[in-house]
Amino acid sequence: MANFLAQFQTIKTTADRIVISVEDVSDLWPTVKNAFEARLPFKRASLNNKTRNPVSVEQLPAEFILTTDSRLRSRFPQEQLLFWFREPYATVVLVTCEDLDEFKTILKPRLKLIVQNDEKEWFIVFVSKAHPANDQANKMAKKVYSKLEVEFSSKKRERCCKYDIHFPEANFWDDLESKIMECVRNTLDRRVQFYEDEIRKLSEQRLMPVWNFCNFFILKESLAFMFEMAHLHEDALREYDELELCYLETVNMTGKQRHFGGADHGDDQAALLNPGNKALTQIVQEDSFREFEFRQYLFACTSKLLFKLNRPFEVASRGYSFIISFSKSLASYERILPFCMREVWVITACLALIEATISHYNEGHVVPDIEKEFFRLLGDLYSLARVKFMRLAYLVGYGTDIERSPVNSASLSLLPWPKPAIWPSVPADASAEVLEKEKLILQTTPRTKHFGIQRKPLPLEPTVLLREANRRRASLSAGNVFEMFEGRQGTIEGSQAQKLHATSMPRTNSSPGNVDSSIDRPMRLAEIYVASEHALKQSISNPELLKSLSSSEEFEQKYLELTKGAADNYHRSWWKRHGVVLDGEIAAVAFKHGHFDQAAKSYEKVCALYAGEGWQDLLAEVLPNLAECQKILNDQAGYLLSCVRLLSLDEGLFLTKERQAVQSEVVRLAHSEMKDPVPLDVSSLITFSGNPGPPLELCDRDPGTLSVTVWSGFPDDITLDSISLTLTPTHNADEGVKALKSSTATVLHPGRNTITLDLPPQKPGSYVLGVLTGQIGQLRFRSHSFSKVGPADSDDFMSYEKPAKPILKVAKPRALVDLEAAVSSALLINEHQWVGILIRPINYSLKAAVLHIDTGPGLEIEDSHVIEMESCASVSQNDDEQVQRDVAQIGSLNSGKSFERLTLHDGRIEFPNWASDTPSILWVLIRAVSDTLSRGSSSVTTRRESIVDGMRTIALKLEFGVFHNQIFERTLAVHFTYPFYVRTRVTDKSNDGTFLLQVILHSEVKAKLTIYDAWLDLQDGFVHTGQTEGRPDSSDFPLNISPTSKAGILFSICLGKTNTEEESRKQAESVLNIKYGISGDRTIGAHPPVIDESTRVDGARQELIFRSAIILQRPVLDPCLAVGFLPLPSDGLRVGQLVKMQWRVERLKDWDKTEVSEPNGEVLYEVNANSGNWMIAGRKRGHVSLSTKQGARIIISILCMPLVAGYVRPPILGLPDVDEANISCKPAGPHLVCVLPPALSSSFCIPVNS
Amino acid sequence: MIICVAVVGHQNNPLFIQSFTEADDALKLHHIVHCSLDVVDERVNNPKKSGPLLNETFLGLLYPIENYKVYGYLTNTKVKFILVTTDLDVRDADVRNFFRRFHAAYVDAVSNPFHVPGKKITSKTFVERVSTIVKSFGLSSAG
Repeated sequence: MANFLAQFQTIKTTADRIVISVEDVSDLWPTVKNAFEARLPFKRASLNNKTRNPVSVEQLPAEFILTTDSRLRSRFPQEQLLFWFREPYATVVLVTCEDLDEFKTILKPRLKLIVQNDEKEWFIVFVSKAHPANDQANKMAKKVYSKLEVEFSSKKRERCCKYDIHFPEANFWDDLESKIMECVRNTLDRRVQFYEDEIRKLSEQRLMPVWNFCNFFILKESLAFMFEMAHLHEDALREYDELELCYLETVNMTGKQRHFGGADHGDDQAALLNPGNKALTQIVQEDSFREFEFRQYLFACTSKLLFKLNRPFEVASRGYSFIISFSKSLASYERILPFCMREVWVITACLALIEATISHYNEGHVVPDIEKEFFRLLGDLYSLARVKFMRLAYLVGYGTDIERSPVNSASLSLLPWPKPAIWPSVPADASAEVLEKEKLILQTTPRTKHFGIQRKPLPLEPTVLLREANRRRASLSAGNVFEMFEGRQGTIEGSQAQKLHATSMPRTNSSPGNVDSSIDRPMRLAEIYVASEHALKQSISNPELLKSLSSSEEFEQKYLELTKGAADNYHRSWWKRHGVVLDGEIAAVAFKHGHFDQAAKSYEKVCALYAGEGWQDLLAEVLPNLAECQKILNDQAGYLLSCVRLLSLDEGLFLTKERQAVQSEVVRLAHSEMKDPVPLDVSSLITFSGNPGPPLELCDRDPGTLSVTVWSGFPDDITLDSISLTLTPTHNADEGVKALKSSTATVLHPGRNTITLDLPPQKPGSYVLGVLTGQIGQLRFRSHSFSKVGPADSDDFMSYEKPAKPILKVAKPRALVDLEAAVSSALLINEHQWVGILIRPINYSLKAAVLHIDTGPGLEIEDSHVIEMESCASVSQNDDEQVQRDVAQIGSLNSGKSFERLTLHDGRIEFPNWASDTPSILWVLIRAVSDTLSRGSSSVTTRRESIVDGMRTIALKLEFGVFHNQIFERTLAVHFTYPFYVRTRVTDKSNDGTFLLQVILHSEVKAKLTIYDAWLDLQDGFVHTGQTEGRPDSSDFPLNISPTSKAGILFSICLGKTNTEEESRKQAESVLNIKYGISGDRTIGAHPPVIDESTRVDGARQELIFRSAIILQRPVLDPCLAVGFLPLPSDGLRVGQLVKMQWRVERLKDWDKTEVSEPNGEVLYEVNANSGNWMIAGRKRGHVSLSTKQGARIIISILCMPLVAGYVRPPILGLPDVDEANISCKPAGPHLVCVLPPALSSSFCIPVNS
Repeated sequence: MIICVAVVGHQNNPLFIQSFTEADDALKLHHIVHCSLDVVDERVNNPKKSGPLLNETFLGLLYPIENYKVYGYLTNTKVKFILVTTDLDVRDADVRNFFRRFHAAYVDAVSNPFHVPGKKITSKTFVERVSTIVKSFGLSSAG
């Protein structure tokens, strides 16, 4: 059967559509042919696929062939069976008849004869030639047709249809098509069944020795071809797939050594898309086919079907796997194939596949996912071709043109060398080429990286080519001299070559023309290149590929084309990493040719990719290239940024020397003449944080110094011209940021530095660190990053969050210090007294504080005296300050009580250091001046003294804080008083006008007073009775008076005559003189006044003089008016009840005209009452008319309300205009009234027992 | 032979890369691992395609390169393990087993209280353990 292979091939090429045979019984075909053929190809054909499921075929091409045609007649039956697929699928019998008799006698038997063959699927088309106008003919035609139907149609199947030549019925064509389709379907089913049976039969013999793959192939492909003819491409595809599987099975299974194929010229060009590349008969190998050609053939068939199915994606995807697996097969037969055949085949296969799929690809017709996948496959194909191409180029000697980048290294160094049986040797006449190559090798110098970065180049070769090539040569076996290279796998080809070169040079020089010697001695690298080149010229048949390897420029062009193709397609497939990395390779080429702009753009993309995900090792490889581009392009900002990024990479990635070179670049640029200051983000290089521990706490308005830790990633010290740091308040963002500046140059050492910055007063709140900015020369840098614990970690790229920890807390305004008077009781007036000012710091240091003292009116500071300051440990008053008290106590225990004398300069006092934290008292010597005399009062009148009289003020201003920025002002009130308050009372009165005057001395101070002497200078009208000149018995003295107690002195006086007019005027009031001493403590209140040290006499007692004026009232001798207090209601007074007070004023004598003080018979009255005891409603003071006649009287009523219960003095009516000597009062002296407590109110009481 | 194992963080940042080649060419392995993330991304983002693999940590062969194979493994914290091997016929079961052991080692390493999550793994113990796992790769199936 294998002999039919050639025939099969020719049949396949000629038959490409299904055949419908036409049995032209009545010579009608020429008339209907055009109409019939106009229906081709059939649309919407419905066929059954292999699994007998109906499939709709959009277009089914077919051909009508007359049975008399030579194509159908000249076939042998055996052929017919084998190539059944080309036999007609339906038979159309064309008949016409106009006579019933004719039908019966002639036509019917003939038709019966035609249709008796069961194999055929047939049906009859009755053609009516009758003209529509000719009714007779029409009727006859109908009759004949109905006869025909009766004869040939059955219930199961209608086999007839009628065609009116002149007037075809509307549904005739549909009817015809459906009938043809029915036939085709049936035939197809039957034939599929047949082929399947045959194939099954053969498959069962697969393991037998008689098994012949070719037979199986012919059957299988016939089936596939039949499906293809019927446009059932899916089924055809399946057949091919099965065929391939079956083939691979036979290839792998049999132990027979078969020829692989691929040894023909031109086989290096992949034919995986061209099924007709080689005739199948050429590749027959015994009972099967050669693998090399046959697998490509199968793939070509499938790809053809896939393209027909409009699935270029699947072609690409199957193609890629096919190339990979086929390349593996090629590798296993590499020994018998031409040199580098495998690489060449892969390159051509990839390129062919790319070209074919792209030309069949219509954009936007598929779902995006498939589209992505498609581009990815294209990228893979390009990249595979690229790798193989680079490998070839390397073998030819263009290795130096290939960038030793990670991507190239990854693909090339893991790709084994070609393994030919014998490595090609140098052709005889190639010595000139060898010399040239050698020159090239010597000329190439490895490109040094920018910044003098020394990197060991990545390998592009799996092992050293030199050794590999020499080992594979026929004359040399393993274990020769080249084994010495075994231990040096890592060293690169170039250096290796040079070493070898040196050793082998003499021999070459001695015999330059003797090429034969190269068989014995190892080949040199240049020789390997030349040998490979020659061998490749032999194996490569594609002129384009040959051209691409002919020179380094051509190589580069092709290399770029492949790289770009891969990169673009990877980008379209969203494999950004693959794409961008290849962009970097394009950039390297662009760089080499001086297209720095383009190179920089691509390098930037690569750097961004690596930096974005923290692949520092890879970044370190590309970044120097980018920096170099930017430097050449004079892109200073970009260049600086690249330098900073280089410096901020892991330290281990570069040598210190290299890092220092980068830093010096930065500094050099910064101080060079840049047009504008260049901003630069150094967040990755300089990081900062607050000091660990609690934040700096400041009081409101306090400046401070902020200490910040800055980590420098520079390898050397770097000088920053200025530095500033912003503080961001955490509570409200709209307040804006505050910048702290330090304009002095700061030197940052590598690693941790501490920088202190002056902190101006800030608003209350807490602050976090913002941005660090600074300047190096013309370079303005800023850093946003915060290091939390240690130095900036290299993979900190994702922690850009702000530090939550506040660095500074400014407290809300609060009292920082308190100033108050140390004593509350009164001091002596008109004497030098110490006034104590208690200074209490509240959790705030008063270091170097300055106190300004300014006295108010009536108070003066004794300038000559020093000011004393002493610590005061236990002045705290409440529990809140417990802690402070403890601290103060500890302080006082340690240092004891501090005491210091200070001096006052211009009203300022500077505090000593010890007083900065502990409370202290400042004693200031002052003197309150009062030029009025103390006035005593009689026991009748109430004491009328305002508290303001003795009050003096001291204005204090305390400046404190580090910069004296805090100011505390307070005005202290200090109370001064005379030592005594004097009251007088007449205790006894005799008839002779002598009476005893009791002087009651109230002590006004909290100190013990000692009276040494007392005398009374009497006013006019009074004289002393005894000869003691107004002094009481001297034995009473000295008299001690305890604080706030009273003492009394009795004076015996009598009314005397007026001495002279002048004297009486001089002495209108009596003056009590008291010589006294005081012994008090300044911490309590009044104390002995300070006297000047110089005038002080030791041991002498200090005597002070107190004078007080006393008014003695003479008895009423000539009363003119009488004032009488009318009795109060009998039910008594009650607190809160209004009561009417009444006084009756009566004139005792006629008005004396000489008195002018009382005009027009009116009297001025005034009601005096203690406002604490009484509330007075109504006019307290006013005029009332009183007749000037004797006996005139009037009653003055005032509504009063008592405020306190008890015995109180009632209000007193006074007549200010009338001399007291002329008023007779009743009762004459002070008296008391009883005021009852307010009535109980029961409204809010709740009975207990209810 | 396994030539490289790597741990890649959930932000595709390298956490650990260990190469087992004699030559000083770790950078190319960095490149291979980095590029393989394209495939991992695609698998993770296209659950439709991976289908039943969605719930599985083992990603299988990431892509068929002619001369080496890259396998992937994705933990449920989106940490990726990448294995590069030059063995061209590796059994999936072996790789699965390898990744399981590797995962255990990784979990132990990051459970170290001194390890900062998201930072590179610097533990020497981990390195040793990985070397042991790598050395024993494929032995179980052979023995």
